[in-house]
Amino acid sequence: MSVKKIWFSFLLIGLLAVAVVASGCIGGETTTTTTTTTQIQEQITLKVIGPWSGAEFDAFKEVIKAFEAEHPNIKIEYKTYRAEDLSTILPLQFESGDTPADIIFMWGWFIADMAKKGHVMELNEVINPNEYVPGILDTTTVDGKIYGAPFTAAAKPGFWYRKSFFEKHGLKPPETWDEFVALLEQIKQIPGIKAPIVSGDSVGWPISDVTEHFILTFGGAELQQKLINGEVKWQDPQVRSIFEERLVPLLNAGYFSDPIEWTSAVDLWWKGDYALYFMGTWLTGMVEDPTDLGLISLPGVKAMVLAPDYFMVPKYTTHPTEALELAKFLATEGQRIHVGTSSGKLATWKEVTMDDYWEPMKDVAKVVANVESAPDLDDSVGGEWQKTFWDQLKLLWVQPDRLNDVLKTLDEKFPKE
Amino acid sequence: MKRPRSLASLFFLLPALILMVPFVIYPVFKTIYLSFFFGDEFVGLENYKNVLLSSDIVNLERFPTKSPPWGALVHNVVWIAIHLPVTVFLGLGIALLLRKKEVKGSSVIKSIIFLGMVIPMIVGGLIIRFLFEEGAGVVPAIFNALGIERLAITWTAYPETALFAAILGSIWIWTGFSMLMYSAGLASIPRDYYEAALIDGASRFQIFKNVTWPLLKPITIVVVAMTLLWDLKIFDIVYVATGGGPGGASMVLALQMWDYFARALNYNYAAVVAVLLTMLTIIPALWLIRRRG
Repeated sequence: MSVKKIWFSFLLIGLLAVAVVASGCIGGETTTTTTTTTQIQEQITLKVIGPWSGAEFDAFKEVIKAFEAEHPNIKIEYKTYRAEDLSTILPLQFESGDTPADIIFMWGWFIADMAKKGHVMELNEVINPNEYVPGILDTTTVDGKIYGAPFTAAAKPGFWYRKSFFEKHGLKPPETWDEFVALLEQIKQIPGIKAPIVSGDSVGWPISDVTEHFILTFGGAELQQKLINGEVKWQDPQVRSIFEERLVPLLNAGYFSDPIEWTSAVDLWWKGDYALYFMGTWLTGMVEDPTDLGLISLPGVKAMVLAPDYFMVPKYTTHPTEALELAKFLATEGQRIHVGTSSGKLATWKEVTMDDYWEPMKDVAKVVANVESAPDLDDSVGGEWQKTFWDQLKLLWVQPDRLNDVLKTLDEKFPKE
Repeated sequence: MKRPRSLASLFFLLPALILMVPFVIYPVFKTIYLSFFFGDEFVGLENYKNVLLSSDIVNLERFPTKSPPWGALVHNVVWIAIHLPVTVFLGLGIALLLRKKEVKGSSVIKSIIFLGMVIPMIVGGLIIRFLFEEGAGVVPAIFNALGIERLAITWTAYPETALFAAILGSIWIWTGFSMLMYSAGLASIPRDYYEAALIDGASRFQIFKNVTWPLLKPITIVVVAMTLLWDLKIFDIVYVATGGGPGGASMVLALQMWDYFARALNYNYAAVVAVLLTMLTIIPALWLIRRRG
């Protein structure tokens, strides 16, 4: 190829490159025109990211519909993302001054962390702290400023059973610890039962929820809070005794099953392979007949975990006014709508009344209302420790004799700050 | 006339080079750079010391006398020690068994074995999880039928078995690759060689030892190198099947890097593991290049 031809090729490709860039610019103008048209019609699309899909999203959709009906100029676009995935996406996006959505549901500790780095809008003008369950805003408040609002909450009230199963086998809910242990032994003797309690797994949190229920029953909300703050060690005698005297003997006796995938565990429990399943209130929306559900809390329970779905408005939203409007709705009237669906959730906004609830949830809401609420332990600490907690408990479940190793690891991995 | 030709080559390479700088070269150097910092403070090799001495990477308290966790690096080594020879020889064995045209349904059997390679690894991880789950999986069911109760359990739930469940699952997934490579290699060996060996009175073993195996050497190099790389970078099936647990008993380096990055938000430690992993993968990659080149 001659030098001339080569330079001609350069020129041709250069012209092509200019043409491509120019067409891109023209494309940009077209986009701007569209945006202008949108503004004339005052139509705005707000993006919301939440954890729900399937039936859970169907329940949340009712809230979206209600908001859109009130605000005809705003359309909601919803995307499902798990918090675990968001935890890797958001820090990088926020650092580059961008956000994948205008409202994002996320762990409370994560919102506080992002707020400290200046990525989240304040919500003090949007919600009134006095209208919420006490302590619910602590996780998402930084230096007196609220950065994360609570939506509805799941409670983790205890072990669920089928009323029909208990009736068939002449079983009764226990009123003391000894009766609870006797009930487990009685269930274990029933032919066809693999274990009295099925242990949910694959995601980690079902087993940690069980553990927290033991801590809250025998140590109370104060101990749970101290563990969250790192003021009490896991090897502390008080904590150790809860494991040694309550949980580990049950594991040794084979009252808990090996950890099995938590959604398939629902089916196995429902068909009678297991009698009890410790799960959050969302279970009511996962079973064929919620009216057949009964609930056993550990006798003498002092507090229960109330785990709200928190959300934030990132500073990089392109529609801050409308995003705050939606935030206000979700934190207030949106809750009223959500608890009326089969979401299995409880309101954190005190203006919601018992009449607003979906019928099968009314009894649960009454139970939860009579005990102190506590924050979710692993969700509050978060980070690497949360995963360690789940993993170490899985180990404890199959090898209860490794309790010392487990408690030691939980202390070693606990955040230093 | 050499100069214009090299200029033209450079010109055509330019788009790829331009893309490589921000998407490959810069991240590589940034990762190495990050590995020497803690937050914003330069700490030299301190991060390397902390990570390598951590029980997350090598757990000398438990290795080799007690059950896992033995540390992510040791788990990767165990993975290589079991997975590499088994997949290589299993793939070769299956390829040898199914090479003859008279084996009915050989292509169907090969397709079934290769199925593990074509499914997404996330699905592979899920299948492994359920394969080893008591009450649902075929593995505990087999041991139950054999009366071996110790192994009729959910393998992924126990520290003694979780790592081996993931490795065995990986063998199922990866054997298809080895089998396919060896099948292609066997098909390329001229029939005359075998006929000549038979005329000389060579036994089957002698034919394999002196004809088949030497001629398959280039294939073996590729299979070994690719399997080594697979074993070192293994992530997705462990993430789904066991999550690295219980108690870190099936943790591997790539997952440990992910944990530092995504859970602990400790980008510096994640960078250290990434650098270590790159150094480890470069060894078989260079070996492969040298043997092939």
